[in-house]
Amino acid sequence: MTPALHSEASLTAAEFRDIRALLDAYCRSIDTDRLEDWPDYFVPDGLYQVLSRENVELGLPAPLVYYYSRGMMQDRVTALRDALTYEPVYTRHLTSGLQLWTDGDAFAARSDFAIYQTTQEGITRLFSVGEYRDRIVRDGDCFRFRERAVIMDTFGVQNLIAIPL
Amino acid sequence: MERSVDRLWPSQNFSQTPYWAFRDDDLYREEGERLFRGPHWNYLCVEAEIPEAGDYVVGYVGETQVVINRLEDGGIAAFINSCAHRGAQLVRNLRGRSLSHTCAYHQWCFDLDGTLLGVPQQRGVKGCGGMPKDFDKAAHGLQRLRVTSYKGLVFGTFSAETVPFQDYVGPKLIEQIDRIFDRPIKLLGYYRQRVEANWKLYLENVKDPYHAGLLHLFHVTFGIYRPTMSGKVMMDDTHGNSVLRTADIDENQAEVNAVYADSAKYRPDYKLRDASLFDVEPDYPDRVTNMIMTIFPNLMLGQVANTFQIRHVRPKGRREFELYWTYFGFADDDDAAIEGKLRQSNFVGPAGYISLEDGEAGRLVQNGVEARPDGDCSTVEMGGLGPIEDQDTLSTEIAVRGFWQHYTRSMGIPCAGDAE
Repeated sequence: MTPALHSEASLTAAEFRDIRALLDAYCRSIDTDRLEDWPDYFVPDGLYQVLSRENVELGLPAPLVYYYSRGMMQDRVTALRDALTYEPVYTRHLTSGLQLWTDGDAFAARSDFAIYQTTQEGITRLFSVGEYRDRIVRDGDCFRFRERAVIMDTFGVQNLIAIPL
Repeated sequence: MERSVDRLWPSQNFSQTPYWAFRDDDLYREEGERLFRGPHWNYLCVEAEIPEAGDYVVGYVGETQVVINRLEDGGIAAFINSCAHRGAQLVRNLRGRSLSHTCAYHQWCFDLDGTLLGVPQQRGVKGCGGMPKDFDKAAHGLQRLRVTSYKGLVFGTFSAETVPFQDYVGPKLIEQIDRIFDRPIKLLGYYRQRVEANWKLYLENVKDPYHAGLLHLFHVTFGIYRPTMSGKVMMDDTHGNSVLRTADIDENQAEVNAVYADSAKYRPDYKLRDASLFDVEPDYPDRVTNMIMTIFPNLMLGQVANTFQIRHVRPKGRREFELYWTYFGFADDDDAAIEGKLRQSNFVGPAGYISLEDGEAGRLVQNGVEARPDGDCSTVEMGGLGPIEDQDTLSTEIAVRGFWQHYTRSMGIPCAGDAE
């Protein structure tokens, strides 16, 4: 994925632990409906994109979601809370297959995800599987996303994408 | 016309839609025959997807998978994606390039126009077996569609009766197609949505400007669409094809405030932290902010802000459809123009601020009507009960009435009160 970076063997145990904590906290915030926390996992000019694997493989640029600032992410959260009409569901992220790289300064990560949705009547369906591709930087005493690309294998989207993936 | 299903449409002026129209299995099967195999132009693809000889894409006419090929002479041919031998799916990739198509099962090989080229072991093996001596390859080609192309939009029909495309959609739609497709397009990508609703609910949605200023707060608050803007609903002579057009002119703030006085859907206090989504130079100077065209039975061409999309409503059973979006810019767009369209893609598609709610509207209606008694109907009276004709307002459902009028005629469904 990022041949310029070294393998995870060159990450310190603390870096590995703290980046994992970022990835896990991101999912926990969404799954526990703390959407207001979501933009803060990014640097202020961070990039959040949702891409269809179909478009990625065809080399076509149209994103499903393309937010290139924390402000845009906050706007999405406001709209989700106040404006948009969508089915309320619980979500559950399962992630695996984490790989990490670093050049000593910035970090790159990839991991697999499965996102389940559970309806108000308690029926669970697999909403999406895919891959996260991340660029992560140290920001003060924590790590944040410079970029998070959510690449959906399930690009035949089940109805709609409302909350962050 | 012979009656298709044992049903009677409840209203002659189409101000009521019976809920069985979204539920009836027999009706759904009959749509396959009368609409998708009937005298109608069905969207296949855009020419920009198949620029070179041998380029193909797989599309759908109703639930029938079809292959659309660029021929060596530059023409376009389309055939059903099912082998002439034993019916196997012939082309297995959705897109590609090949100068012939060979079935995986018994290696029957077809030309790009569907002509049968070769049958392995046609003369048998070691003097035994093989096809009958009089087997005529010319009589065993793939099932073809008639194809037409207008401004790079490719349509197909199974019927010999379908009128030429320009007559099919009429001059008012042609003018709107010409406005957008005035130069070659550039593909930017695809979106796919699976909505658990009857496909016609999406057609109702995009023919209904009444909902747009009420369901879509984002639309309203940020001035892409408000019923107080200059708006028009136009239809062709059949009333099955329509254009809803909104331009950001002739609007004053007092009217906006009055219309939304009792509504939480207009939020002048609502400010974006990052409004750069709106800092996109429009491609056309006419201040059109929203244009939704529908071509019967199931195609939509649309503009929302400065985004341009084709939306093909592909039925997948009576209570599911795929909304297949082709998102495009123009071949002469520079990097800034393309970047603007990628930014504004946040308005449309399954995650878009505006479009995501239309998928939800379809689901809500299907859920709502699924168990309603058979005689129950919707109320479609916005815009009045007068004749079905063009209106210069967005406070109307007239194009929904027009759709059902053309639908029932095309389906051979009589209305209550019709002379027998």
